[in-house]
Amino acid sequence: MILMLPVLAEASFNQFAVVGVLLLIAIVFGVGNLVISKLMGPSREGPIKGLVYESGMNPITPARRRFNVRFYVVAMTFLVFDVEIVFLYPWATTFPSLAQDSPLNVLFLGRMLFFVLTTVIAFLYAWRKGVFRYD
Amino acid sequence: MSVMADKLAGVWPEITLGLGACVCMALGLAKASSTRKLTSWVAGLFLLLSGVLAIAGPQPTSGLILPPQMVLYVKLAVVAVGVVLLLVAAQLPSSWRATHRAEEGIEPFDPANVMRGEFFAFFLFSLAGVMLTTTANDLVWLFLSLELVSLPTYVMVATSQDRIRAQESAVKYFFLGALAVAVFLYGFTLIYGATGFTDLSRVQSAAATTTSPLLTLGIVLAIVGISFKIAAVPMHFYTADVYQGAATPVTAFLAFVPKTAGFVAIIILLSMLPQWPTHGPIMWLLWIMAALTMTVGNVMGLLQTSVKRTLAYSSIAHSGYLLVGLLAGPALLTSGGGGSGAIGNGIAAVLFYLVAYALSTIGAFAVLGCVQVDGHEADSFDDISGLSTKHPGLAAVMLVCVLSLVGLPPLLGFIGKIYLFGSAMAHRGENPAFVWLVVVAVLNSAVSAVYYLRIIGACYFGKPSGRTEPQHCPSRRIAALVCGIAVVVMGVAGNRLVTLARESSQLAQPSQQTPAKVVSDELPTDIHGG
Amino acid sequence: MNDIALAHYLFTGAVLFALGMVGFVTRRNMILMFLCTEMMFQGVVVSLVGFSRLHGNDTGQTFVIFVLTIAAAEAALALGLVVLLYRRKRTLDAGAWAELNG
Repeated sequence: MILMLPVLAEASFNQFAVVGVLLLIAIVFGVGNLVISKLMGPSREGPIKGLVYESGMNPITPARRRFNVRFYVVAMTFLVFDVEIVFLYPWATTFPSLAQDSPLNVLFLGRMLFFVLTTVIAFLYAWRKGVFRYD
Repeated sequence: MSVMADKLAGVWPEITLGLGACVCMALGLAKASSTRKLTSWVAGLFLLLSGVLAIAGPQPTSGLILPPQMVLYVKLAVVAVGVVLLLVAAQLPSSWRATHRAEEGIEPFDPANVMRGEFFAFFLFSLAGVMLTTTANDLVWLFLSLELVSLPTYVMVATSQDRIRAQESAVKYFFLGALAVAVFLYGFTLIYGATGFTDLSRVQSAAATTTSPLLTLGIVLAIVGISFKIAAVPMHFYTADVYQGAATPVTAFLAFVPKTAGFVAIIILLSMLPQWPTHGPIMWLLWIMAALTMTVGNVMGLLQTSVKRTLAYSSIAHSGYLLVGLLAGPALLTSGGGGSGAIGNGIAAVLFYLVAYALSTIGAFAVLGCVQVDGHEADSFDDISGLSTKHPGLAAVMLVCVLSLVGLPPLLGFIGKIYLFGSAMAHRGENPAFVWLVVVAVLNSAVSAVYYLRIIGACYFGKPSGRTEPQHCPSRRIAALVCGIAVVVMGVAGNRLVTLARESSQLAQPSQQTPAKVVSDELPTDIHGG
Repeated sequence: MNDIALAHYLFTGAVLFALGMVGFVTRRNMILMFLCTEMMFQGVVVSLVGFSRLHGNDTGQTFVIFVLTIAAAEAALALGLVVLLYRRKRTLDAGAWAELNG
């Protein structure tokens, strides 16, 4: 039994290593985005910038007021890209069940990459169309 | 990969159209105004390319529900009529204020305001949807392709004119459309529930062994929902408003594209049944739909003061006529002497009449689109009053196309109607109710002549109003001319289309225990004599 | 037990669908009308999942994903159209459609 312990420990370490890598990616992604936006984004100071909502909504008004149209545009874009994620889940649950050396692996990955590519094209189109322009 | 290649074999024309749509969108966002103006040409190029691919490209070896010739026929019809529709619509984006100002250099180019690329992209997407409907072999596929047909048309209607009536009608169109989608989707759900498959060939074999009321209910709901696409009775309310509200080229588009997709989808759904419904609830549903659709369309058509609304009700009425042919179904071996020859095949008649109706009505709309009154498109009877004195050519096209819609020999519409009503008569042995339907249809045709003649009367005998001015759109004139010539030439001499339509309609049905065996007809009998 | 569960699924789906349809016909506010069509879609989705469980295959659930996608596309379109019309008419009442008679 005692002899088994190191093996067990190694196995469980390997299991958690995956979680560790995920955590690492999450931290790098989060910090990286903050750093990049600090470096590349415009930085302005002022009373409006310091308000609660960064989107520019006035926080103290009657609740039943109309929203700016650009919120609807962002909501529409979000809706479309959000639903694309739904297709990734079934794919993600099927993919690991394929054999390690199956030729289908590449095909499956390729199909999903193609799907993501179409999303990227849609994103570029929306960008050029000025959907993300916020002024 | 070969599985993939085989799956793709049937859809290369659709992929081409999809690619073309993406290219159009990209071109529409180009900086140079001259590049942006190329969009309509590029759309036409991709349309022709998809037609070439449909004929010469790889053909699917399996997995089609409809016979391959029928798929090919519909695809080619979509390409041919699509080119005419593109000619009608080519100059439409230039009439929008923001697009026009950006292109003439009055305002700087702002991608958010210019919609030329999107218009042609949606145009191609919608056509691709019709093609995909014909190749559908799964309920999911059928659902998605029908949506691909409709979703772009909502946007096309809303953006087609800088007038509030376009947006109002688009909202009306969209909401009824959303309701219709939910209804036919519930029908699809019940079909899946009754059989356990969404794969249509498996649904077909499951339906052949068991008959369940759930399946019948599913098909009934699906047909009711799809009646929105063909502008038939339970879902026809939007037609007049949308046809009037949309810009004329878009109206012409609506008269052909969703209608074709809807009829193809209904043919696919009915071929799920072990035999064509000549009895029972589905037959009566179609019978009542056909009779009501014709009558509502023609009676309401009498009351209109707007030419576009009149033509919209004529579109409803023609859906009713088409349903008569659909009800008659494919040619039968067992229907006695009447079923032989060219007239026995209802599906062929429907396929033929879809093109005949499209050319006639697009011609009429194209003429309307060529005339401008007070800066707006011609709409009321007064607007086209006395057209023949100012524009004899346009008036002649209008005359020919409208007479074809009436069904006057020897024009295209006459041949189509003979086919439709003849096929129902040929099948009268199966159900005597068909005879009554034909009687209703013929009476309706007579009634419809009244409002069609009003259009002609306005064109030829009305007092010319001074306010009309010709619109600068050469390609729309070409389209009108093409339609006018096609209606006459194909009516007088063209049996080729008839032959094509008939060859293409040998519907594949499970034929084990049914008498409904489909025959391939011989050469066309001469129908001009009678 | 399974049969009862299936009946429950189908009943819920049918009720959602019917409520949506009734609401669509009776309501005059465009946002509410749109919510009603979404409700009909959800009725379809629940029925699909129920049937999928009855038949023991996944095709029904696959169908659901596509239905959701189209529903989202329609929602985006509805949002766009409603905002467009509201900016010009300042009302969401379908009864205020005056431009087109009919």
